[in-house]
Amino acid sequence: MSTDLTIHGHGEMVGSQPVHDAEHEGHHHKETFITKYVFSQDHKMICKQFLITGMIWAILGGFMSVLFRLQLGYPESTFPWLEDILGKWAKGGKIQPEAYYALVTMHGTVLVFFVLTGGLSGTFANFLIPLQIGARDMASPFLNMLSYWFFWMASVVMITSLFIETGPAAGGWTSYPPLSALGDASIGSQGGMDYWITGMALFVVSSLLGGLNYITTILNMRTKGMSMTRLPLTIWALFFTATLGVLSFPVLLSGLILLLFDRHAGTSFYLSDIFISATQKALPNEGGSPILFQHLFWFLGHPEVYIIILPAMGLVSEVMAINSRKPIFGYMAMIGSLFAITILAFLVWAHHMFVTGLNPFLGSVFVLLTLLIAVPSAIKVFNWLTTLWRGNIRFTPAMLFAIGFVSMFISGGLTGVFLGNSTLDIHLHDTYFIIAHFHIVMGVSAFLGMFCGVYHWFPKMYGRYMNNTMSYIHFWVTFAGAYLIFWPMHYEGLAGMPRRYVEYSGWSTFNQFADLNRFISTVAMIVFAVQLMFVFNFFYSIFKGRKVTSQNPWQANTLEWTTPIHPGHGNWPGEIPEVHRWAYDYGKDGKDFILQTEPLGADEQHH
Amino acid sequence: MSSSNVTTSGLEKEKNSFDTKAIWRTFWILLVITLFELIVAIIYFETHFFPKHILNGVFIIMTLAKAFFIVAEFMHLGHEIKNLIMTIAIPACLFIWFIIAFLWDGSSFHTLRMRYDGYQLQQSKTIVKPAEHKEEGKKPGKE
Amino acid sequence: MAHSVPVGQKWWSGGKSPFNVEYGKLMMWYFLMSDAFTFGAFLISYGTIRFSSYSWPDPNEVFRSFPVIGQMTVPLAFVSLMTFILIMSSVTMVMAVGAGQMQDRKAVMKWMFLTILGGLAFLGCQAWEWTHLYHEGAWWGRNPFMNINGTQSSTNFSNFFFTITGFHGFHVFSGVIINICMLIKTWRGDFEKTGHYLMIEKAGLYWHFVDLVWVFVFTCFYLL
Repeated sequence: MSTDLTIHGHGEMVGSQPVHDAEHEGHHHKETFITKYVFSQDHKMICKQFLITGMIWAILGGFMSVLFRLQLGYPESTFPWLEDILGKWAKGGKIQPEAYYALVTMHGTVLVFFVLTGGLSGTFANFLIPLQIGARDMASPFLNMLSYWFFWMASVVMITSLFIETGPAAGGWTSYPPLSALGDASIGSQGGMDYWITGMALFVVSSLLGGLNYITTILNMRTKGMSMTRLPLTIWALFFTATLGVLSFPVLLSGLILLLFDRHAGTSFYLSDIFISATQKALPNEGGSPILFQHLFWFLGHPEVYIIILPAMGLVSEVMAINSRKPIFGYMAMIGSLFAITILAFLVWAHHMFVTGLNPFLGSVFVLLTLLIAVPSAIKVFNWLTTLWRGNIRFTPAMLFAIGFVSMFISGGLTGVFLGNSTLDIHLHDTYFIIAHFHIVMGVSAFLGMFCGVYHWFPKMYGRYMNNTMSYIHFWVTFAGAYLIFWPMHYEGLAGMPRRYVEYSGWSTFNQFADLNRFISTVAMIVFAVQLMFVFNFFYSIFKGRKVTSQNPWQANTLEWTTPIHPGHGNWPGEIPEVHRWAYDYGKDGKDFILQTEPLGADEQHH
Repeated sequence: MSSSNVTTSGLEKEKNSFDTKAIWRTFWILLVITLFELIVAIIYFETHFFPKHILNGVFIIMTLAKAFFIVAEFMHLGHEIKNLIMTIAIPACLFIWFIIAFLWDGSSFHTLRMRYDGYQLQQSKTIVKPAEHKEEGKKPGKE
Repeated sequence: MAHSVPVGQKWWSGGKSPFNVEYGKLMMWYFLMSDAFTFGAFLISYGTIRFSSYSWPDPNEVFRSFPVIGQMTVPLAFVSLMTFILIMSSVTMVMAVGAGQMQDRKAVMKWMFLTILGGLAFLGCQAWEWTHLYHEGAWWGRNPFMNINGTQSSTNFSNFFFTITGFHGFHVFSGVIINICMLIKTWRGDFEKTGHYLMIEKAGLYWHFVDLVWVFVFTCFYLL
């Protein structure tokens, strides 16, 4: 092996040498519209594709929640315009029960998988990994492109399911059998369920292609001097996210394949002892267990919530250090806690199943493991707070979202301790308490983290700033609105109000919540409207935003800010910079910030 | 950028370290283990000389041994550097709790069914004549 | 550890692979890791259902046929043959990888051809076994076999058998396709041009993984 080939790691030496040579100095060859914007292999373009697809999904998924909040907040009213857009699903301007189930199912599926997994880690892993570790592109740009296009195909299948005659899947985003396995069970268990399974299978492929690329790139393609302990925390978080995805999504795939056989091949993996009252028929299926599906689903499902939250944690850690002008507090502890969360993610899945008839002794082990998660989570929270402590804080929109994230994560995390106890869970399971918990700790938190990332890296993505006034309005309405929506749900849940019900008028107990429900629905609509304003701000700023004039507008240390304002494919026009220090030298030796590329001074210690 | 530090870092190839003998040795080990498993299975089938669940333990250990040889020799992992071995070995440990928890709950279903599901309990005690077994007449060996 | 690697190498300092492998091979390893979880989930599901059942058919009763000879007094003979074929094809694959390291194009082609042959032979055996079981009345949703204690068996015995061996067979099939592509590329001299046979090594990893899975499938369905 000749030495001159080892320019920046022999990783490229063998496989991807052409990319790195041909585009060493930016663009040597002409790019057509197709290769630049559609089938692009540039990680920065793929990032934007993921982001914008994710935004479209978020609008759709958010709008679904507005529709069912209308029903929950105003159960007596009719809205004729609903019939105009939903047709038979909202006969007489009132959402039908089948439509309600379809809406909540698709709302969950879309936001969990398509927005907060595909949209969040797809966007920021693609954008930040090569830029922050100092690589020209992903290890395999081609597979990276395929990852987006599988995501796109999954999206198309999932959207198509909204328009078929029997409607989309309606068995909940977890699609538990037998409801999901038997077409006779409900209208939403028919064609829509098959589309759902197909869409999810394509999504798994996309996430595997992406995840393998992210892991390999982070491990193999770091620039010279970028040791693992000099990586920004964003990269560590994305690394663990990808690991979670690569090891847990296959299990969902297996579960879905078995489900497909149950639906169409007469097998009984998940079915046993079933009598369908609608057809007055006992099914021949015997010997299976619906709980098996729940195990398989949650073996993915629990890591999945960390797949959602870890990238947000990484983005927040980075933005928080930059805007506090202080090193992140407890860098190694941050990595350690990310690692601990990743391992624990695989050990705790059955805490979603305490009331399924799970063996109580097994359950107690799961309680113990679940409560252990509080330790690394608390370490992270304290480190964020101590990073803020006596910082020279700049309240940029990104920073506000980062602080908001920590607030949300604490509020939602604490209720997680309630739910992690199997005895308390008997009361709280399937009530609005759990809705409040996971929306705050995972839904809203991850969204705040994502917004934080978008506002912070928008100048790098498009060379322009987003509008600040709209950004501040966006933050305060979203932050306050999220608390106003989800905080009261804790009380409803403690009072026993079950989730997944279209109508509560049958219980006089819950009449006391009628006003509260109306209030929640109203706030939900306002918050949704403000998200539309964000989308407007985003697209407006791409074309008309204030131009970025300096290479490093936030005075940050990481490598992406050493690239030109509009980096070409290959990121650095000349050689890839060498790294000499960690990413968090803020306020050191009288200097406000020291780029990672700056060599160590004579009296400085290695970090 | 190619400093003296990097010069040693090319893929450290062991070009001619390919060891045909080791491969054949692995092959023979795998073959012998498989034959051993087979013979034990057949002897058990004929004589029931041993409690089945202990035998199952033996089979599983044999399987893991075979898996080890395939991964270490055929897939060459045993000859890679320790970092790579660890990134494969550590995630594989997740299988431990994956298996324990699933099987634990599986046997718990069994207990619940036998306790509360009268139909299953009755089924588990009813011997049925193997009517639809077509080649019943030719079937040698023991019932 | 490879002996040629210098002592005291700073593997993690960036600018090089911490594993001393190029990215494609690393990616293949992690893909196999994730695929192991797919198969793991299948086999563990099988175990869970088996643990929750009151009894289960005896594999020695079910798998006792051999082509041409028909019913055998010795069970499991045919599946042993299949196992032998697969291990054998793994050996030829290693030989192909070794020949690739020596840059010996002719030898690579010879060994790849034998590997493909082994893969096809295995698929043929599996096709025969499936056909045979189908004619005995087993299929997805149908199970003619009694439990070992003579009680009525649920259909899940055949359900899992066909699903998991089918999924494994699908992997063998795609492995054969990959190997054919590699053979063609070797024949065209593509790897001589690039100067290395790393693609053969990656295909090899996949092929051995298929063998590895078979070891577990063999134990879970035929022995336990």
